[in-house]
Amino acid sequence: MVNWTHILRAQIFSIKCWYKNNRWMLISTFVWPYLMVGTLFGVGLTLGSIDEYARKVGVANPALYLLASSVVAMSSIYIMYSITGFILQNRWIGTLPYIFLSPVKAHTIMIFSGLPDAVLSPALTTTAILPAAIYFEGVTGAWRILIILLIIILGMLPLMGLSVIIASLLLILKEESNVMGSIIPFMLLVSGVYYPLEVLPRILQLISRAVPTTYVIEATKIVSTYLIPEARLLMTALYMIGLLTLGYNLMAASAIAKLDRIIKYRGAL
Amino acid sequence: MSIAIEADNLVKSYITRLKSGFLRRKKRVLEALKGVSFTVNYGEIFGLLGPNGAGKTTTIKILATLLLPDGGRARVAGYDVVNEAEKVRDSIGVTLTVEKGFFWKLTGRENLKYFGMLRGLSGSRLDERVDYLLEMLELKRLGASDRFYEEYSLGMKARLCLARALLTDPPILMLDEPTLGLDPPSAREIRNLLTSLADEGKAVLVTTHNMFEAELICDRIAIIDDGRIIATGRVEDLKRRVSNRIAVKIFVSNPNFGDLARLEGIVGKVGFGVDDTGRAYIRFTCEPGSEDRVIADIIKFLGETNIRVFRVDVEEPTLEDVFISLTGRTGES
Repeated sequence: MVNWTHILRAQIFSIKCWYKNNRWMLISTFVWPYLMVGTLFGVGLTLGSIDEYARKVGVANPALYLLASSVVAMSSIYIMYSITGFILQNRWIGTLPYIFLSPVKAHTIMIFSGLPDAVLSPALTTTAILPAAIYFEGVTGAWRILIILLIIILGMLPLMGLSVIIASLLLILKEESNVMGSIIPFMLLVSGVYYPLEVLPRILQLISRAVPTTYVIEATKIVSTYLIPEARLLMTALYMIGLLTLGYNLMAASAIAKLDRIIKYRGAL
Repeated sequence: MSIAIEADNLVKSYITRLKSGFLRRKKRVLEALKGVSFTVNYGEIFGLLGPNGAGKTTTIKILATLLLPDGGRARVAGYDVVNEAEKVRDSIGVTLTVEKGFFWKLTGRENLKYFGMLRGLSGSRLDERVDYLLEMLELKRLGASDRFYEEYSLGMKARLCLARALLTDPPILMLDEPTLGLDPPSAREIRNLLTSLADEGKAVLVTTHNMFEAELICDRIAIIDDGRIIATGRVEDLKRRVSNRIAVKIFVSNPNFGDLARLEGIVGKVGFGVDDTGRAYIRFTCEPGSEDRVIADIIKFLGETNIRVFRVDVEEPTLEDVFISLTGRTGES
């Protein structure tokens, strides 16, 4: 009997083949956080000093903080894109109906198909900044990066439910690129990846409370700033991640059978 | 023969939206299927024949559980396509279009392994099956097994499609236009393979608008037009429906028209003529099924009157004649 483990194994196999056959893609995954931070520093230095930035954002090591932020930003995109983009990409290349011909429930495919990429991509990008962390802070830096990776993976849990809902909507609305093109930048905007949330308008600040990446970034900031008094906030962020995981996944679970029916009724596959 | 696929009064409509202004869209209901019923037996190739937009792909998608019908019922391998969809999918192999449906940056072998895993295959069983199919569909011989899919010709893509449909060796195959766009040798090889799969006992449902192909490989055919099945049966039976006479042309040398006129006593009305190469012929019609006996009688008569026979052409109505007669249009329209 085919089950979710077969879907997971198939996806892991395809990712392995993809990286094996596209070595430049693998190399660029390791290089881009440094390019990103280099650009940010370059632009930042024309506007003010590094010390000023560190003081205003409240971080001890701006370089490491920006590297970690880049990883969180890209990981958030990867996670969202792994699940929703999975639908999008496979529909474009014509593989989607064949994937849904697997003899399991449609929502099993939707949940587990994007999962390996959603874990592997953040893991790769986090590994990419490991040398920088070790350079700046030694073994402590390495530990901190590993904790950040764990937080990212935790943050992925609520995004899974959210992404399944978005993926279903993409199939129903048949306006995939428009929806995807709007959702991801918006989520990055309201999650305060590169700047404090306080600078956002009040309404966006409220919306940001419902976006899981906000708490991932808050937790990451706390871990990379090393401030003991902030430990309580770290717990709050983790608690919020847990709450959103429950909320979004319950929402997805209750809607998924109906969404599955609508998708098949409309001939979206 | 037991029934593999049973479609009973399937109905399906799509809601489409046509642009009627900058932001406005007009809703339109498109009735794709208006009560489609047919059965497919194990061990036969059943052709769903019809022009583009007739409802062939919609029917396949419903039977493959990719689409829900608005009305009617369908059972595949004994399972209901709506309520037992996973069991249906476990019993079928499907190809929807031959020109896409694989990962471009994966090799043929890697693609097959991926889809095999999605169907529950793993380990050495998967490796052996993939290897066997690459061999059987001659992708190995063509050196395509370990080439990226993006480098495949259309013929190779069609073979890979069929290999994917056969990954779990399912008892039922549903193939949507499996030879569309293929060159004649590749199309012939695919047709031969389908025939041998049916001989093994598999039920093969093929959609096509290629009359020649349908006539060549299908044991039975359903002609679908505008969402309705307008005729079902064996090719010969369908032909008989549109023409109850078979035309025969016998090419002869040194004809003596006085003697030939006596033929009317054997076959009734006889016509005479000369073709473009100057060869004389006799033309007559007879009841289907009686042509062998009538031709033998005539050849015997011609032998007695020293008229030499060069060639005998039996002109049956083609499937295209059947299609035109039933729909009033050609299959390409």
